Amino acid sequence: MPDYGQIQVGAGTLDARLVLGLAFVLFLMGAVGVLIRRHPIVILVCIELMLNAANLTLITFAAQLHNLEGQLFTLMTMTVAAAEAVVGLAILVDIFRVRDVDDVDELSELKG
Amino acid sequence: MLQTAALALLLLPAAGALVLALTALSIPRFAVRLIGPGVVWLGFLATLYLLSDSLQNNVAHDFTYWTWIKSGAFNLPANLLVDRLSIFMCLVITGVGGLIITYAVGYMDHEGDASYARFFCYMDLFIFSMLLLVLAGNFVFLIMGWAMVGLSSYLLIGFYYWRHSAVAAARKAFVMNIIGDVGLILAAIALFVQYGQTTYAGVFAAVPKSDGFWIEVIGFLLLVGAVAKSAQLPLHTWLPDAMEGPTPVSALIHAATMVTAGVYLIGRMHPIFDAATYAHNTSAIIGAATALFAATIAVVQTDIKRVLAYSTMSQIGYMFLAVGVGAYGAGFFHLLSHAFFKALLFMAAGNVIHAMNDEQDMRRYGGLWKQMRGTSICFLAGSLSLAGIIPFVGFFSKDLILGEDFSNPNVLPEVLWAVGLVTAVLTAFYTGRMWWIAFAGQPSADRPVEHPHEAPPVMMIPVVILALLTTFGGLLQVQALAPQGWALVSNFLQPVVGTVGWPDSPYELPLTAATLVLAIVLFLVAYNFYVRKAWRPWSKALPWLQALLERKYYVDELYDALIVRTMDDTARVGDVMLEEPLLDGTPGGIGAATRAGAGELALTQNGFFRTYVLVFVGGAAVALILILLVRATS
Repeated sequence: MPDYGQIQVGAGTLDARLVLGLAFVLFLMGAVGVLIRRHPIVILVCIELMLNAANLTLITFAAQLHNLEGQLFTLMTMTVAAAEAVVGLAILVDIFRVRDVDDVDELSELKG
Repeated sequence: MLQTAALALLLLPAAGALVLALTALSIPRFAVRLIGPGVVWLGFLATLYLLSDSLQNNVAHDFTYWTWIKSGAFNLPANLLVDRLSIFMCLVITGVGGLIITYAVGYMDHEGDASYARFFCYMDLFIFSMLLLVLAGNFVFLIMGWAMVGLSSYLLIGFYYWRHSAVAAARKAFVMNIIGDVGLILAAIALFVQYGQTTYAGVFAAVPKSDGFWIEVIGFLLLVGAVAKSAQLPLHTWLPDAMEGPTPVSALIHAATMVTAGVYLIGRMHPIFDAATYAHNTSAIIGAATALFAATIAVVQTDIKRVLAYSTMSQIGYMFLAVGVGAYGAGFFHLLSHAFFKALLFMAAGNVIHAMNDEQDMRRYGGLWKQMRGTSICFLAGSLSLAGIIPFVGFFSKDLILGEDFSNPNVLPEVLWAVGLVTAVLTAFYTGRMWWIAFAGQPSADRPVEHPHEAPPVMMIPVVILALLTTFGGLLQVQALAPQGWALVSNFLQPVVGTVGWPDSPYELPLTAATLVLAIVLFLVAYNFYVRKAWRPWSKALPWLQALLERKYYVDELYDALIVRTMDDTARVGDVMLEEPLLDGTPGGIGAATRAGAGELALTQNGFFRTYVLVFVGGAAVALILILLVRATS
């Protein structure tokens, strides 16, 4: 992994590689979770995990480059994530009213 | 005020047609009876107003209502030309037209309500188109009117659209008329390209006074238009078939007004034709040839309306002959006279056809003189006028044409005069034949109605009015009898079309007398042939001639073989070679390929969420790898 330098955290500094590594691990966990888990709620949670990993990356680079745009964009991502969670959960609630779903592959009525 | 009257004259029939078209399904019958003829009679009143002004002041008005199109050199005002020629034509259209449409109120009475309104809608549309044609002050209005009379003629010939023959006849008439429209449009384009003018006033001021290449081209193109509209050789085949339309239509469109539009066109364009000598002479030759040609065919026709149709072609041939040699006044007098007596003949024939349960074969009539006295007398007046017998109007107008032809100093009119004389004699013979077969003698054995009823007053009154006009109309212009006598029609039109430029010949009167005697003799000869049957029918001696005439000189067959079948074959080849593989094949192939591809692609949409995610994440991974690779190499 190339050297991404140091970022300021409070009074001290931190190697950016550590934070980026954390974000990578988080993202991988989310992606793998979406791929292998079957329950729709869990999948939604995993998607949030990936979004947070992306947010972490954005903030890291914003701090490293002393650029506010990255931080602002994180706020944007969080708004979209909230909206996405609302819509996703609303759909799931509606589906659960009709029937109990354990596996998202049961919802395949719209295939071509 | 005059300007408004001219516009009202034009727009009243249009409004009538519009109202009837929009309400045809619901309008009560009495309203149709009021609106249909009413707007035409109102137009007649407007025409009388314009006439009184023209008689008092003798001014040609060119009313410009607004500028229609202005684009660079192309300047087109919306203008109407109200001069004596257009007033004269409007009098014929609204006067004779009004009588015929009033007659139609009775004639069409057995139609259903919707058809009844539809008929008067078309008739008013026709009157509007014809008025537009004659009132136009520029070539665009002329073309519009010209095409719209063709359209209304098409609609009215095909009025009984459930009859196959009517639809075929309507189509034939339309195609023939379109040939003429194209000629007229090309002429207008040539005039604009050559002289940069669209209005009559501009064009007539710009055209050269002497002959030239372009003026001849324009003359011949105009002639194509006139010949097609007036059913002259060689574009004549549509008119006899047009008799499929209701009889008032035949009287109005295919006798009195529309088919004389060609004569009007040549008269209106006389500055062009006076310069274009060859085109002008050709119109005279075509007229004389058609007159003789149609008269010979009329000798063997058995359908009463077809006899009248061929006689119409023949009489319009006379008009072409007159305007073709420059005797415009005589030509227009014959136009007026023909409108009187041919409308009369058609309407009287309509009375008979009505009484005979739509039977049109005159061999199955016979003996109507005793049972339908009123109609018979009127028909006799028309027949004697058509035959050119004194004192009926046809005598005065036709012998005026023959006289002007004869005294013309050139050689061509002399030759054409001889043709006209032969035609006049033949006309008397076939008219006599028609009259004697249909009305005289004993009732035919297979007559469809034993005791025919006379027509109701609404049909009889217009017929009687026209019979009176036919009998006394000759008093308008008596030069055929008295060369120094008054000439109301020619003098009225003199400011527009001028006078003939040659003196009368002293031999005119004896020749007129000879024509008259021959006509009377031939009219009576027909009696011996067809009623007394004293003589052997001439067709027994000349069977090949009979066959030739009955097949109308095989012109229809010739056109069928040369043009119709060639086009059909070309179309069929194109259908097989071009349309099916190329035009149908291309979009069809694209459609089939898309459908097949879509069928395959649809399988990838299997509905399993995790498959989608896998594809999505896999795609993102591949994209990431590609980006990194590109980064690494650059």
